[in-house]
Amino acid sequence: MQIREDPENNETRALLNLVDFSGADVLEIGCGDGRLTYRYAEEAAKVTAIDPFEASIIRAKQNLPVKLRDRVEFQCIAFEDFAPQNRPAIFDTVILSWAL
Amino acid sequence: MVHALEEIWRLLKPQGLLIDIHPVAEFSLIKIFQRGKVLFTIPKPETYWEDVFQAEGAIAQLVERGLFLVERVDEFDYLTYASSVGELRAHRELINAFDNTPKDEAMLSQEEELYSQVEAVLHEAGEGAEVAFHERGRIARIKPAS
Repeated sequence: MQIREDPENNETRALLNLVDFSGADVLEIGCGDGRLTYRYAEEAAKVTAIDPFEASIIRAKQNLPVKLRDRVEFQCIAFEDFAPQNRPAIFDTVILSWAL
Repeated sequence: MVHALEEIWRLLKPQGLLIDIHPVAEFSLIKIFQRGKVLFTIPKPETYWEDVFQAEGAIAQLVERGLFLVERVDEFDYLTYASSVGELRAHRELINAFDNTPKDEAMLSQEEELYSQVEAVLHEAGEGAEVAFHERGRIARIKPAS
């Protein structure tokens, strides 16, 4: 058996109760292996998903469904390095995903 | 964390939305399930709880400064299932790679004891039993306030 994370989809339900991702430009901080990203990205216009751990980003890229490849970009970068490279007011939604 | 939230505020459009998902501190359990029933539950202390309190404090600070407004907070159960204790431990180590809090001898020894106890119960339960890590997640919808 493989690890099964939130097979009940409680997290996805809670997220979709709070956000309408339709047409949104999304930044996900702490995306890990993309586990949550895949669950909402189909609704979004574009998702930039970042995580400082290279092994996680490699897995995220490997597992990215073909249908999401044109709208999801995974980057191996810490938020403190990512933020200064970007202009203000560019994202509709920012998700801090279990990132403390 | 405060600076990171200030940067998030800068990157968000004025009508944008910050969604903060983080674990609820002091709620971490290891459970053993068999055929949908809970056979065993034991609390599992985590060293990142202090980080959770600091993160919540940082958000409260920015709300007080008028940068953000918390619109809604919900909680949900988050379970990670594994077929063996070793599999679950390896997964938790990967998930907690960010946590650099040093563990002293007493903590390490308590952790080993706890996992041995879980392993014994899982072994005794036999076929169809699985082990799970049960956390509570807190999710907040936060708007830039100005």
